[in-house]
Amino acid sequence: MISLLQNTVSLSGTVNWDWVFFGAFLLLMVAIVLYSLAIPQGGKRWWTLALLLGAFVLAGMAVGEGTLRVVFLDIAAFLAVALVWIADCPKAKDAARRYLILMVIAMAFIAGGLYLVEGKAPLAAPLDKIAAALLIVGFSLKLAFVPFYFWLPGVAEHSKPMTTALIVAVVDIAAFTELIHLRLNAGWVFENYATLWLVLALLSMFGGAILALAQKNIKRMLAFSTMDDMGYLLLGTLVGTQAGLSGALLAALGHAFFKVILFAAVGVAEFKNGHDLTIEDHGMAALYPVSAAAFIAGALGMIGVPPLFGFLGRWRLYLAGVEFGGWMFFIAMSLATGLALLYYVRVIHIVWLGKPDGEIVKGQEPKLAAFVLVVLMVLTLVVGLYPTWLTALIG
Amino acid sequence: VNQFVVLPLEALGVGILLQLALGRVLSPKAKGWLAFLTGLVALVRVLFLLPAIMQGKTIDATLFQWDQNAFLQYHVDGLSLIFALMATGIGSAILIYCVNYMAHETEGTTRFYVLMLTFIAGLVNLVFSANLLLVYLSWEVIGLCSYFLVGFWYKDSAATNGARKVLVMTHIPGYGLLAGILLIYHQSGTLVWTDPAVSAAFTTGIFVLMLIAAMAKSVMFPLNTWIPEAMNAPTPVSALLHSACYVKAGVYLIARMYSMVHWPHAWNVTVITIGCVTILTGALFALAQTDMKRMLAFSTISQLGYIITGLGIGTNLGIAAGLFYCLAHGLFKGTLFLCAGAVQHATGTRDMRKLGGLAARMPWTARIWLIAAASIIGIPLTNGFVAKWLLLDAALNANLPIVVVVAWLVSVITAIYMLKATVSVFYGEEPEWLKATKVHDAEPSMLAGLGILGSLCLVFGIAPQLLFRSLVTPAVNALGFSQDVSLTWFGLQTSSAGVQVTLGAAIAVIAVLIGWMVFALVQPRAQKTNAGVFTGGDPMPLNGGMNAEDFTVLAETTLAPVYAVTNPDRVYFPLWQTIKKAAAWLGKVLAPLSEKYAVVATVVLALIVFVVVWLG
Repeated sequence: MISLLQNTVSLSGTVNWDWVFFGAFLLLMVAIVLYSLAIPQGGKRWWTLALLLGAFVLAGMAVGEGTLRVVFLDIAAFLAVALVWIADCPKAKDAARRYLILMVIAMAFIAGGLYLVEGKAPLAAPLDKIAAALLIVGFSLKLAFVPFYFWLPGVAEHSKPMTTALIVAVVDIAAFTELIHLRLNAGWVFENYATLWLVLALLSMFGGAILALAQKNIKRMLAFSTMDDMGYLLLGTLVGTQAGLSGALLAALGHAFFKVILFAAVGVAEFKNGHDLTIEDHGMAALYPVSAAAFIAGALGMIGVPPLFGFLGRWRLYLAGVEFGGWMFFIAMSLATGLALLYYVRVIHIVWLGKPDGEIVKGQEPKLAAFVLVVLMVLTLVVGLYPTWLTALIG
Repeated sequence: VNQFVVLPLEALGVGILLQLALGRVLSPKAKGWLAFLTGLVALVRVLFLLPAIMQGKTIDATLFQWDQNAFLQYHVDGLSLIFALMATGIGSAILIYCVNYMAHETEGTTRFYVLMLTFIAGLVNLVFSANLLLVYLSWEVIGLCSYFLVGFWYKDSAATNGARKVLVMTHIPGYGLLAGILLIYHQSGTLVWTDPAVSAAFTTGIFVLMLIAAMAKSVMFPLNTWIPEAMNAPTPVSALLHSACYVKAGVYLIARMYSMVHWPHAWNVTVITIGCVTILTGALFALAQTDMKRMLAFSTISQLGYIITGLGIGTNLGIAAGLFYCLAHGLFKGTLFLCAGAVQHATGTRDMRKLGGLAARMPWTARIWLIAAASIIGIPLTNGFVAKWLLLDAALNANLPIVVVVAWLVSVITAIYMLKATVSVFYGEEPEWLKATKVHDAEPSMLAGLGILGSLCLVFGIAPQLLFRSLVTPAVNALGFSQDVSLTWFGLQTSSAGVQVTLGAAIAVIAVLIGWMVFALVQPRAQKTNAGVFTGGDPMPLNGGMNAEDFTVLAETTLAPVYAVTNPDRVYFPLWQTIKKAAAWLGKVLAPLSEKYAVVATVVLALIVFVVVWLG
């Protein structure tokens, strides 16, 4: 296992993959902006913060590796905290406070760790251990790996859907690319502490899935599904082979798009219903058919059901898993995916499909929001069917 | 010839795009005709491939790259063609039936036809693909189509619950196929199943993983419980799912494994065992049903058991029997479902307890039902008889008496439940509510759909050699078996004819007679007669014979212990409950950490990480 980890850390894409993420984030920002024009997420303050957040993430991707990138992405994370804070609700402020404290800890740890890690060669003892521990804790907090996930459920539950989408699909995924850079530049942090990273990956996959099953609030459930998915991304990063790294990057892209779709679908129902979507709501598909279709597509994409784009990343991650730990590892991964199917299907069939509680009034979905959802769905399908152009860029 | 490979898929793709483009302007009927024409063009284009396949050739084509080492690569041989013809041929007959059946739907018809055509295209792509990754992709596409089609009436909770079960029960075992593919790729470095390196990499573990996936798709015991719940779909969906496009995917996968690797004897024994258990359990559950479609669903389980058993025998004759049975089942099961749909369409119910005497009001539907029922029972002159005959012959030749006994016993049970359904629905006295209802026979396009399938049951029962020479023989050869079986008119004589074959025929005839006798015994006597039915005790009251409901109660009472043991849902449900309870418990335990003590918990966890790293 360790020898495999030490063998290969490279990607054979034709361009710097940061630019692929730049393009993806730009596209998602456009989608979020259009959606938010149809379904208001907040006043001027929200728009200012959201656009600044997008700008800093894009700038972070554009500048490539280095301190400036870390600074830009950290500023984006603080803007995300502010987005949560401005929601007019005490619980949101409480969640923002928690988010802020834990992000500050995470950033401090990551900054300390990165400062110590100077190159590909391991540091002298005991600095190597300190650096590794700082980075493990820092990234676990920032990316909400289980059991370091405490900020995410509250943020997801008490924020506006597009705020949460910006956090989990843009800020988090941008932070995840930092982890990939770390894997490429200081592989020993992963190779020497593989067991610990592996435990975090497995805990996230299974813990996220199990906890998602227990949720009643749908946005909160989606937060736990993010942790579940982060487990897979971490696993691919840890394995570090061509399949592992490219799988993690492709899955991260898929995660970003599908999470925006999922939160946007939930947002339509919440906007029209005037309250949070929970498992007490029924038959939403009869009222919001496009959103229901989008939620189903997003869920299937998240668990990697072909022909949606999510399958490509999952396929490579499964391949990396088999390379890493043989068929037993694949069984573990597919069991976790099976759990993910159960929690998504539970929501699809309790909340979206079936008989609605009240009268059916059609045509309630804002057209622009529905248009955004349809475009994103078609995009993920088309890329899933013909992904070669993308894989050529990433490797 | 090579470029012909993509033509059927191209036709279906164009049809799907036309449905999407014209969905808003076409009427439901026009969409139905467009879908039928699409299916027909695809069928004709599949038939273009037939001459080359009959000459023993294979057709290969590579289109474009999907991912590293994964090209959209096709390899069409005799086995592929059988399944592609079933998908497009039976699919087209079902689509013409849809024209009237779906004409009154007020919403979702574009979605319906797009999904139906994608369903057919998915199976064609599955059986044409040479690349295993694309096999899996198609496998899941047809899975999704069935999910969305079963849940077509998505505002109806019964329909969506059925769809949910379909998705969960087939998608999760589908990871077996994916795992098998991953392991093959990991070992051999190729995803193309025609590559000889695949054979060397193919282990028993891979076989088991793929078998699990196939079992779920092909409703093998104990992964069979999703199919009765899928019956709240529109009937054409049930017909397509049962006859051509879904359950047959698993059959294809099992058969295809013969192309990839030589089977050790243990694999054959495993498949035969699963097949025989499935034959029995499906039939026993079918006995207890009062809903026409649920009964047919359980009979699908049983009939799929026959097919898998034939393939499991693994001799020339066994493979031929399995594949012929597969074709025969597609025809008679498609017909039966469409007939059930016509009855439901006309009367508003498929509850056999509420029906009766429909032969007078729906004469054509009744006649076609009779042909298909005769076929599933295995009465001579039908393709079902030839299929059962071949299977019994194969089992006897392979010295597998247990298979013969199971097949014979279940033939009797099949005869009983099919006769129960036939008499309950089409004969006897019409219930009062039905007399007051305006009931008419199926409309022309519906009759055309079920008529085509029903008549083919007779055609291939009378002249099975047509199907044998053109389709079964090339398929058997494609799987690496030498074809030494020839069939004559009525399927009465095979090249392996002997005492056993005659015995097989006798068994089939006896099965029908016993079935008829059992059902006749429990039928009410004519009203003029004062003699009650002998029950072993007090005579039954006048007109007190058994109807479908009584029959079901009898079966449920008598076979209660068997149903209890053989219902796998008794395991799945507690498993789901346990997972749910564990999730709820964990959520409850961790909630305070997340809400109140997040910072403290984070500090503690960080310390743990530091300690572990320090000690590590």
